[in-house]
Amino acid sequence: MPLIETVDLCQKYSGRDILKNINIKVDKGEVFALIGPTGAGKTTLLRLVDLLEMPASGKIYFDGRDATESKKVRFEMRRRMAFVIQKPIVFNISIYDNIAYGLKWRGAKKSSIRAKVSSILEMIGLSAYKNRDARTLSGGEAQRVAIARAIVTEPEVLLLDEPTANLDPLSAAKIEELITSIIPQYDTTIIMATHDMSQGQRLANRIGVLINGEILQTGDPGEVFTSPESREVAEFVSADNIIDGVIVSSEEGIVAVGIGDNKIIEAISNYPVGEEVCACVRPEDITLTLSKTTSSARNSFIGQITRVVSTGPLSRIEINCGFRLVSLVTKRSAEELALEKGKQVYATFKATAVHILKSKTL
Amino acid sequence: MAEIWQGLVKAVELIVSFDPEVMSIAGRSLTISVTATLLAGVICLPLGSLIHFNRFIGKRTLINFIQTFYSIPTVVVGLFVFLLFSRAGPLGGLNLLFTPTVMIIGQMILITPVLLGLTVSALSGVDKAISETARSLGASDFQTVVIVLKEARFAVMAAILLAFGRAISEVGLALMVGGNIRGFTRVFTTAISLETSKGDIELAIALGIILILIALIINIVLNRLQQR
Amino acid sequence: MRNKVASYLALLVLTSLLLGAAGCRASLKMATTTSLYDTGLWGYLEPKFEKKYNVALDILSLGSGAAFEYAKRGDVDVLTIHDKANEEKFIAEGYGVERVPFAYNYFLIVGPASDPAGIKGMNPEDAFKKLFETKSGTFVSRGDNSGTHSKEKAIWNAAGFDYEVVRKAGAWYIEGGKGMGPTLQMASEKQAYTLTDMGTYLSYKSKLNLVPIVDKGSILLNVYSVIAVNPQKVKGVKIDLANSLIGFLTSPEIQKLIGNYGVEEYGLQLFIPCAGAEPK
Repeated sequence: MPLIETVDLCQKYSGRDILKNINIKVDKGEVFALIGPTGAGKTTLLRLVDLLEMPASGKIYFDGRDATESKKVRFEMRRRMAFVIQKPIVFNISIYDNIAYGLKWRGAKKSSIRAKVSSILEMIGLSAYKNRDARTLSGGEAQRVAIARAIVTEPEVLLLDEPTANLDPLSAAKIEELITSIIPQYDTTIIMATHDMSQGQRLANRIGVLINGEILQTGDPGEVFTSPESREVAEFVSADNIIDGVIVSSEEGIVAVGIGDNKIIEAISNYPVGEEVCACVRPEDITLTLSKTTSSARNSFIGQITRVVSTGPLSRIEINCGFRLVSLVTKRSAEELALEKGKQVYATFKATAVHILKSKTL
Repeated sequence: MAEIWQGLVKAVELIVSFDPEVMSIAGRSLTISVTATLLAGVICLPLGSLIHFNRFIGKRTLINFIQTFYSIPTVVVGLFVFLLFSRAGPLGGLNLLFTPTVMIIGQMILITPVLLGLTVSALSGVDKAISETARSLGASDFQTVVIVLKEARFAVMAAILLAFGRAISEVGLALMVGGNIRGFTRVFTTAISLETSKGDIELAIALGIILILIALIINIVLNRLQQR
Repeated sequence: MRNKVASYLALLVLTSLLLGAAGCRASLKMATTTSLYDTGLWGYLEPKFEKKYNVALDILSLGSGAAFEYAKRGDVDVLTIHDKANEEKFIAEGYGVERVPFAYNYFLIVGPASDPAGIKGMNPEDAFKKLFETKSGTFVSRGDNSGTHSKEKAIWNAAGFDYEVVRKAGAWYIEGGKGMGPTLQMASEKQAYTLTDMGTYLSYKSKLNLVPIVDKGSILLNVYSVIAVNPQKVKGVKIDLANSLIGFLTSPEIQKLIGNYGVEEYGLQLFIPCAGAEPK
């Protein structure tokens, strides 16, 4: 039996639909990442699961019991969960007191509080500052306190809303470290919202993609990443190359997708001939060469570079092959090949790198 | 201006000699105003929280209404309370007119709008995320109210100090409902009023200086408590 | 949580009980005229009364107008004032039991030593007439329905003037709206004339730049009486204690003390005792 289950959950604000028919199941001990663009409804869904709000319709089951039964039941169940919001919010009292409050409210004994808070302070590395006014902390430190505050109450479910969104990379890394170390220690079930696909991949057992208030796909991170089930999901997981076409031939599981202009992309798929599809290729799966290669890759297109954008150690190369292709290479490779606008290159990728989606007619 | 200097000298004399009349007036003034402020606080902090945390029709109107009475003239409140507690009035049977008790009640009525309104203001100044965070950490409704009040504690303390200041410095109400009876309902402000009308400016100034000193001490003490 | 609500309610109930208890104290509430109070006579007599009768004497110093009003409402039990006309009306309307004079002195008109209106030594009615007609001096009136103010109006009437006309007569007539002491101070500042009782004048004399201008005339008689509020008309008043006060004020011992009050300090009697009988 899943620990958290939502059934046809819907939420509206001022008449607008925010969440439509959300059905998710989270098992005990899982780390479930809810990913999607800003404004998709992730925060709203977390708030509903934490029973901070009542849904417009639908049900939430916590440990098999209907959580919307009564105010008393909601309150009891809320006490078994904890929520860390996106903005690092601390009470303007000492760090120690901030962390201790959750336990105080549950009526814990002073000595037990002291023990638990001290050990958590150690874990987040702020023991020396326990009497400091929490308002003097930096964003990263405050978020650590907020997480510590949440886990010290040993919740069965920990809800995190974009925990690293407002932080610099170093602080973000520290928070991720904290999260990954909590899991084995407290055996907590974690539901985490993030717009960062790679964060979801790093930390989660399973991912749910929430776009425009609907869950479009759930599955394990690798799956969602490489096999998006719809165009929207594909766009979100940055399978940047989404090319429309029609299956023109199919033989032993290998299909040829006609993408216009007599060009063909070969891919692995079971869709029948005549099916309208999208061919999705991840940028990092496209290799660029200056001359035609003789590799085993079945797809190779000649084209002209239209744009080169370098970010950190990587370079995004946009190529016009009659259709648009985006390739992601290391900066070093780009330099070695002297890739620049206007240069002619060959873009090559394997058939196995192509993911075929059924084209949705809107 | 020489009177102010003379008044200062007299004030020192009165304090150093523990003048019994002045001691009695001081004790009474403090007892009445402190009690009024405490009782008003006990009513206004929960009531203010109730108003702030709940949505209801006419909330905006209610708050405007409360704010209107921030600076209601003390004689007007005094007249109202007088009519209420006069023997000929509805609460006359309680026999409370011209007693310190009715002065406490009157001052409570006087400072409630200020204390209530400023409590609601103070709570409004607290980020909504604080109460949400508290709830998400398992705080009950009551516990949430307490932590938000704690967040707003500086603004709330300012409200309390202001309310106390208004109580201890007013004349109109104390005179009307207290009667300025020597040894029973005479407080600093009514004594100053009387001495001035009798022409004893020096004594009036001395009393005024002592009153300010007491208010200063209370301010310092309360601010110290707040630092902790 | 329930405990907190319970203790909170208990605190409120306890406080209400304590506050209510204050209403049970034994006391006699007396309204006295400001001119009488400001002379300090009551400060002198109060402890003696309290000791003898073992009851707190709560003294409210008010203008006569307010004193009558409070008495009618039952907020005071006994009055000591000096406004014969209104006192008789008060008793005629049933609010007071009996008018018991206990002391008297004289009003006088005081003014600047320079006497710009030239009214020194005249009788009160003629002096007022001259002030009105020549407008050569400023006059400060109590203007507060006090006993002194009533006397002033009586003099204007006796001189043949309608008081309402006098009020609007010009800038020379000022309605101060204050007690006797402050009125004297204002008159002194403005070097104006004013009507005052002897007691207050003597108490303030050293701080003033005013001298007696008109002090002879039967109309200037100022009688202080004590009146108990009638329990049959006004509920809740303490008639027994009020009668004790009346007895106290008219007792030979206290009458003697009243007569001696201020003699040493000012060289004159502030009050002439008259033990219950109306003086001539």
